[in-house]
Amino acid sequence: MRARANPILIFFAVAAALPMFFGATGLFYDAFQSIFVFALVGLGLNIITGFTGMLNLGMAAFMAIGAYAFAILTCDIYPFQIGFWWGLLLSGAIGALAGFLIGAPTLGLSGDYLAIVTMGFGEITLDVLKNLEAITKGTQGINPLPRPTIGGWTIELQDERSWYYLLLLILAVAVLCVRRLERSRTGRAWLSIREDALASQCMGIPPKRTRMIAFATGSAVAAIGGALFAALLSSTGEPNSYDFQVSILALCIIIVGGMGSVAGTLVGAVVMVGMNAIVLVKLADWFGSREHGASSNVLASPNNWKYLIFGLALILVVRLKPEGLVPPRLEGESGAQPPTSPTPRSGASAGGAGA
Amino acid sequence: MSLLEVRDITMRFGGLTAVDGVTFDLRQGEILAVIGPNGAGKTTLFNAITGVYEPTQGSVKFRGSQVRRNPDLKLALRAAAVGILGAISTFVALNAQPIWTAAIDANYLLDKPFPWSKAFMDGWTTARAVPLVWGIIPAVVGGIIGAATVLALWQHLRRTPDLIARAGLARTFQNIRLFTDLSLIENVLVGMDSRLQCGYWTNLLRLPAFARERSRSTAEAMELLAFVELADRAHAAAGSLPYGHRRRLEIARALASKPAVLLLDEPAAGMNPSEVTSLMQLIRRVRDRGVTVILIEHHMKLVMGISDRIVVLQYGRKIGEGTPQEIQADRRCIEAYLGAEDEL
Repeated sequence: MRARANPILIFFAVAAALPMFFGATGLFYDAFQSIFVFALVGLGLNIITGFTGMLNLGMAAFMAIGAYAFAILTCDIYPFQIGFWWGLLLSGAIGALAGFLIGAPTLGLSGDYLAIVTMGFGEITLDVLKNLEAITKGTQGINPLPRPTIGGWTIELQDERSWYYLLLLILAVAVLCVRRLERSRTGRAWLSIREDALASQCMGIPPKRTRMIAFATGSAVAAIGGALFAALLSSTGEPNSYDFQVSILALCIIIVGGMGSVAGTLVGAVVMVGMNAIVLVKLADWFGSREHGASSNVLASPNNWKYLIFGLALILVVRLKPEGLVPPRLEGESGAQPPTSPTPRSGASAGGAGA
Repeated sequence: MSLLEVRDITMRFGGLTAVDGVTFDLRQGEILAVIGPNGAGKTTLFNAITGVYEPTQGSVKFRGSQVRRNPDLKLALRAAAVGILGAISTFVALNAQPIWTAAIDANYLLDKPFPWSKAFMDGWTTARAVPLVWGIIPAVVGGIIGAATVLALWQHLRRTPDLIARAGLARTFQNIRLFTDLSLIENVLVGMDSRLQCGYWTNLLRLPAFARERSRSTAEAMELLAFVELADRAHAAAGSLPYGHRRRLEIARALASKPAVLLLDEPAAGMNPSEVTSLMQLIRRVRDRGVTVILIEHHMKLVMGISDRIVVLQYGRKIGEGTPQEIQADRRCIEAYLGAEDEL
């Protein structure tokens, strides 16, 4: 009854073993590389929205900041060229800084207002990237980007298996860091703000500072995800790769997986991105092979069903398992929980703080 | 000297005066009850004392001084830093492209070493050549806006609940506010936050200080849970607790910061008689730990049984103050409140 299996460990064990069983096809690696990248972005959003309860609709902007910071610092069309690892670290730091700068004036806002501000920030970032052509190369994107080297050994772009394990390793380190923070004073402060901001403040936790730290940490993790996204393509791609749909995808990942659950974020990334990168591709192949003459019908292309399926998945999860596929667990919790007893309300005194 | 001096606290919401010039003292080591009919302004008074509201008038002194942030060097430095940052970012936002082109693009040749100092000088020259309307003027405006925002925000945040909690005033809430998805022990550990020292990086890197603090704080939290007789459920979710136990967990959470004063807002609400009896014992034991208690309560048996002194409010005004015997003998207080109750 005591130790239930740790879903995070299972995830990493399965992911590490998977390439040995699966045929080493390009489709498999493409899908999982993108799953790991979006798991990082989801992990960042999970800190901000899942742990601390701040709805952020602009996660793609922090991913873009990471990608462009990485590109500018490492690409050989610029003089900096600090190399893959320093680029990765610094893009995380720049993401954190961007989180601080956005957070400082806005984190006093609550709920919906913050969501609108972050959404606007996402749009502004896109416009800046498109128009600051001298620096960001506009819609061309910055390329080529360097490959990672480990002790003199370079991982080439075609070496899909090494990339797979590299990303898995970075994701594991990120998960370890997030778990450590979650299970410490820092993470407890985040959770308490989500649970009840006023009570948390009355316990001596400074809300704004705590929110800022969560926002910056989440932004840093997402920025590292963005840097890896660019490194994988050896290009930042065009700015529209970081549009609002990406922010929504990140949000879907944590809602489907389970708000505030690290294991849930990983599972959510597999479900949402996997659906996009495996199921839809397979379906498209299948439809393509049965092509009969004029199949210009938009409905015949499964890629056009993408958002329909996202929406369906979201509705199903919210209806059937509102706490997500892998809901967060309490530390040290053992066995079944006693049933929640209904809360009797004292009729006279149920009023708020204004009585 | 009294521990807490509440002087002439007035709290207005638009045209409504919820608390009107209330003055009282809280003495070290006593149990003080605040009673009054519903809507008398008791909870508002608590909120004004604990910083949830900024009182319209009046002052609250704790150990002889007001708990608030005073303007200091740090504030000045912060305003200056934000101002300078605002100025620089405004300037860069307007002129990033030409400066970047002059400094980087014009100097960078593939396979040649990059002349950093020349690039810096070229960038600097371009930046200096920016006309006033695109350079200094907006930068100064941006700087002033940045610095002014810091000062304005600070003015709002001079007296916040977290500052007051850290000074040593802990409270519970009328409509219990636990962190329901956290376990009991985590709730208590959140309450202990102000006494914990490990910072972000210590927690992230799990430095030795982290393990030491964790074992010490966990032991203390367990001791507090044992104090309120909830230790056996330490790892269950707070939301799974029955109602009566939630009050006790809230008290444990508030005690975790080792406060000098504990403010209890209707601790007995919704409790059955046996729970009230054990709550009275708990409050006495809290006082015996050296914590001064001030409580709002409607339950007369509890109030008369444990309070050293009572303050009576009606329509936001204080209409009486004294020992339970004095209050029970006071006509005005009886008419305002006690007479309306069935119990007396």
